[in-house]
Amino acid sequence: MSDSPDKQHRAPGEMTPEERAKFEGRVSDLGGRLGEIRARQHAGEDADRDAAMRGRGMAYGMRMAAELVAAVIVGGVIGWALDWVLGSRPWLFLLFFLLGFAAGVLNLMRSYERMQREFTASTGGKIGHRVPDNDD
Amino acid sequence: MPDPIHQFDIHRLVPINLFGWDVSFTNSSLFMVLAVLVTFGFFMVATRARALVPSRIQSVAEISHEFVADMLRDSIGKEGMKFFPFVFALFIFIFVCNMLGMIPGAFTVTSHIIVTAALAAIVFLTVLVVGFAKNGLRFFKLFVPDGVPIYILPLVTLIEIISFLSRPVSHSVRLFANMLAGHITLKVFGGFVVMLLGAGSFAVLSPLPLLAAIALTALEFLVAFLQAYVFTMLTCMYLNDALHPGH
Repeated sequence: MSDSPDKQHRAPGEMTPEERAKFEGRVSDLGGRLGEIRARQHAGEDADRDAAMRGRGMAYGMRMAAELVAAVIVGGVIGWALDWVLGSRPWLFLLFFLLGFAAGVLNLMRSYERMQREFTASTGGKIGHRVPDNDD
Repeated sequence: MPDPIHQFDIHRLVPINLFGWDVSFTNSSLFMVLAVLVTFGFFMVATRARALVPSRIQSVAEISHEFVADMLRDSIGKEGMKFFPFVFALFIFIFVCNMLGMIPGAFTVTSHIIVTAALAAIVFLTVLVVGFAKNGLRFFKLFVPDGVPIYILPLVTLIEIISFLSRPVSHSVRLFANMLAGHITLKVFGGFVVMLLGAGSFAVLSPLPLLAAIALTALEFLVAFLQAYVFTMLTCMYLNDALHPGH
């Protein structure tokens, strides 16, 4: 054992000050690299979630449009049919067209509420990008 | 320019005339039969092994089962599983039809409103029958919300009835419009590539619509799945209304 002179006074397994410094340097280096990898993964996840959200957003948009238009059409058709039966053209058509519009807005509000619930359930209420926190 | 609507043409493969009704076997019927055969073949192969540790194909079958079962349990609850065969069949049929439509040259069954309207009508009638069978006249509570002052109740009820009747319309139009629009867009962009290639020096631009067409194809696959999902999801919600009309 041709070690440095002070090594003989230490318990087995203990490090010299230089060794400890090197070791701590490696630990903090590793910590930094892990942090980088984690950050990169988070960014990937966020991008994935954004893409999924955009696809779903488009589907929701189409759903909303169909919801409103369908009710207006159904209202108009009912009014037109009643006019045709009762011979009261065009009054019932006008009335039911407006009622159809009201029903469409009702549909919109309902599906919006449902969408909101689904959304909060699937994301825990967080929207879009994760904003870096400057407080710490 | 190639006609973007041409792909939706229906032609008779085997003309059949039944008591004056035209019930010919068309290309649309062919692809519906194909969808059923593909589904049947897939699930026969996938469930043949019945292994405790599933193979890849078996886990696909199990995932699709769990997917629909979860949807039902989430929106209706345990008793919703009674509708599982119906809802699962709907989901798989629409999904497979949409996916078959993504094969170049194939016919997209769900891009015809008569098909989606028939599917939506089945759902609508199921809701009516189940609703009245389960709740009797209490089913009408669906149209009479709680806590509405008596003097505007007739108006609100009328609006609720129109809203209820509009369901099968929006249910069918959504699926049909998405599939139709997507396939037309794809065809139009494909047509641009061909037109640019035939336009002399403008041919250098032809990769641009080609790239767009590739991106749109990926989007269309997403839409094909998403619309099958949305249709099934709404079916679950409507069935929930049939079982619990009070909300």
